Parts: sequence; C-alpha cells; structure tokens
Amino acid sequence: MMKTFAPLLHSYWYLFRGAGMTLLMAGASVVPATLLGGALALVHVFGKRTARSALQVYLFVVRGIPLLVLLTFVYYLLPLTGIDLPPFWGVVVVMSLYYAAFMSEVFRAGIESLPQAQWDAARSLGMTRHLLLRIIIFPQALRLAAPPFVSLCVNLVKATSLVSIVGLWELTMASREIVERTLAPFQIFLGAALIYFCICYTLALYGRFLERRSLVGH
Amino acid sequence: MPFDFHFIVRLIPALLEGAEITVELAVLTFVICLVWGLLVALAQSSRGPLAWIAGGYIQVVRNTPLLIQMYIIYFGFSMIGFGLSGFLSGLLALCIQNGGYVAEIYRGGLQSVSQRQYEAGRALGMRRWTLYTSVILPQVVARVIPPMTNQAISITKDTSQVAAIAVMEMMKVAEVWVESSANTYDVFFSVAVIYLVLTSVAGAAGKLSERWLAFAQ
Repeated sequence: MMKTFAPLLHSYWYLFRGAGMTLLMAGASVVPATLLGGALALVHVFGKRTARSALQVYLFVVRGIPLLVLLTFVYYLLPLTGIDLPPFWGVVVVMSLYYAAFMSEVFRAGIESLPQAQWDAARSLGMTRHLLLRIIIFPQALRLAAPPFVSLCVNLVKATSLVSIVGLWELTMASREIVERTLAPFQIFLGAALIYFCICYTLALYGRFLERRSLVGH
Repeated sequence: MPFDFHFIVRLIPALLEGAEITVELAVLTFVICLVWGLLVALAQSSRGPLAWIAGGYIQVVRNTPLLIQMYIIYFGFSMIGFGLSGFLSGLLALCIQNGGYVAEIYRGGLQSVSQRQYEAGRALGMRRWTLYTSVILPQVVARVIPPMTNQAISITKDTSQVAAIAVMEMMKVAEVWVESSANTYDVFFSVAVIYLVLTSVAGAAGKLSERWLAFAQ
C-alpha cells in the first residue's frame, strides 16, 4: 500500500503549491465576477430596455459557449493583439466575464423572488428608493442568493482546472507534470482530486449552512 | 477583423465532422444520465446503506473537476491494464460527473411532491410501483424539465473538455486548424457560432418537451 502511493507521498508538496495557485486564480476571478454580476443584475432589474436587451445577448452568448473555447481563444489571441497582459490575468479576465453572467442570474433571482408586497409596503411608508433598496430589498435578496452563489463558487474552482489545457500552471497542471515524471497517473490524479474535493466540499458545506440559515427566517 | 471566407468554407465541413462527435457525446451522456441519475436519486431517497453510498457519490463527483475524473479514467485505467479509448473515457467521465447533478435535480423534483400524495396513494391500496409510475413520477417529470434543459446545455459545453484526452471532437478540430493555419479569428468565431447553435437547439428542445410533457401540472 505504502509502495503504491509512494509517488504521491514524494510529491504532495508540489501538489499543494499547485492548489495554492488554483485558490489564487479562483480568488482573483471571483471578486470581479461578483461585482460585475451584481451590477448586471441591477441592470436587469432596473435598467432601460436597450440595456436589458444588450444584457440578454451577453447572457445568451456566455451561456452557449464553453469556457474552454473562450480560454483557448484568449490564449491564441492575446499574443496577436499586442496587448501585453500576462496569461494569468488573461485567464482572470475571461473567468470573471464568464462567471459574472451566471452570478447576475443568481442575484437577479434573489431580487425578483421577493414578493411585490414588500416594495409596496416600503413605498407606502414613504421610503426613498435608496433606503428601500438598502434596508429592505438587498439584505433579503443577498440572503436568498447566498446558497446558489456558493455553489457557483464551487463551479468556478473546478473550472480553474481548464486553464491547464491552455498551459497555465495550477493544481491540474502540477499533477500532469508529476505524472509525466513518475508514470503513476492513478495515484497522482487521485491525490489532486482529493485536494479539489477538500476545497470544494468545504465551500459546499458552507453553502448548505447558509441555506439552512436562510430557511430559518430572520 | 477581416474574415477570410474562402478559409471558412473549407473549415466548416471539418468542424461539422467534429461537431458530430460532440453531439454524439452530449446525447449519449444526457440519455444515460437521465436513467443513471434517477437510479441514484431513488437510492438516495431510500433507507439504509444504499442511501449513504448514493449521497457520498453525489458529493464526490460534484466537488471534483470533470477534467481530473477524465484523467483518472483515461490515464489511470490504461496503467492498470484495461485501457479505454478516449471517446469511452470521456463518455464515462461525463456520465459520472453529470449523473451527480442530474440525481440532485431528480431529488429536488421528488421532494417537491407533497408527502400527502404518497400517503393518499398508499391509503388507496396502490402498490409502490403503481404509486410511483402513475402518481409521483409524472409530476416529477414536469417539474424537472427546466433544470434538465440547463443540464443538457451544460453537458454540451462540457464535451469540449474531452479534447484534453485527444478525442477529435469540435474543440480539438478547432485547435488543429488554428495551429496549422493561424486564422485564429475565423476558427474561433465559427466554433463559437456552432456551439451557440447546438446549445440553442438543446434549449429549444427543452422548451418543446416542457409544452408536451407538462400535462401533469
């Protein structure tokens, strides 16, 4: 048993460094994706008709094209455009734009699932729109949106594995390098899967905790 | 960016050949997952060790990347003696991963049917099989169609990852053409459009089946 997993025991530190890079990449993408997703959700709920239809086109395109196509596109395109952007940031830009579309749907659903009566009640109390949004709508919408938001984050962490196909170094790439050296794909990829699982399952448990809390009420 | 139409005219047939494999993979995965996911969901809603295993399976596949699962199957199994082809490894990984998601969709559907309907069925003396096939599942089907449509779209997109284990589906064909021609814009524009068409067809099929099968509501 020890002997079978010797390649993994020798190289786990390299995998951990790869996992660090995965977390860094996911972290760097999730922040702009969330901000942009929130802004897009606001455009969807309050925006003018032209802005909303532009948003629909954006959502249609992003939801219909695989992330891998966009990542590969940027990988081949960036050198051609002369934009001097390191590949890491190219990936972060693509992942942010891609996940912002899904985030916006989650936030929009959170806002729209609040009953109309809440808006009416707040207005009849004479609240300004700003106050209404700040103390009535957003806190509840965010509470509702939190669990699906967390499961999107899990997806985002998993999606960072795709950048290994376009040659960036993170956990999946690190495990592929070790496999090329040790010729022990089963053990090494299982090890990598275990690390991914620890990251994602922690997030998923947190999502479940938020879900249970949001069911309890306020 | 100027488009080279002569190039695109030569490119499209090659891409469509790849798209055929993409569609094959997506349809096979979706059909297998519809059955497999239901089995997992039913196992999870049962009592005993089977429920525990099904729950563990769902957590494991949902929290690890498809790409890693594909590598384990493709490279790992060839190491220990019974290697699978790229297509089969990809198909297997796609089914294993998406089966977890489909099972969760079914579970949501099963839970949304009120407990009283089970009780009412039993009070009428229905057998378990009759209860499920004539009362519970028709309602579940109607409720799971919208999320299933999303899953079908996501499966179609996921098939692009099979390119990583050298299956000549559309993404891999595109990469080969980019590397041999350097017409990056043309290739990616065409690939993106074809994927958009495929996912739109999946979405439209979902809408249609919603209209046909939503009788139970």
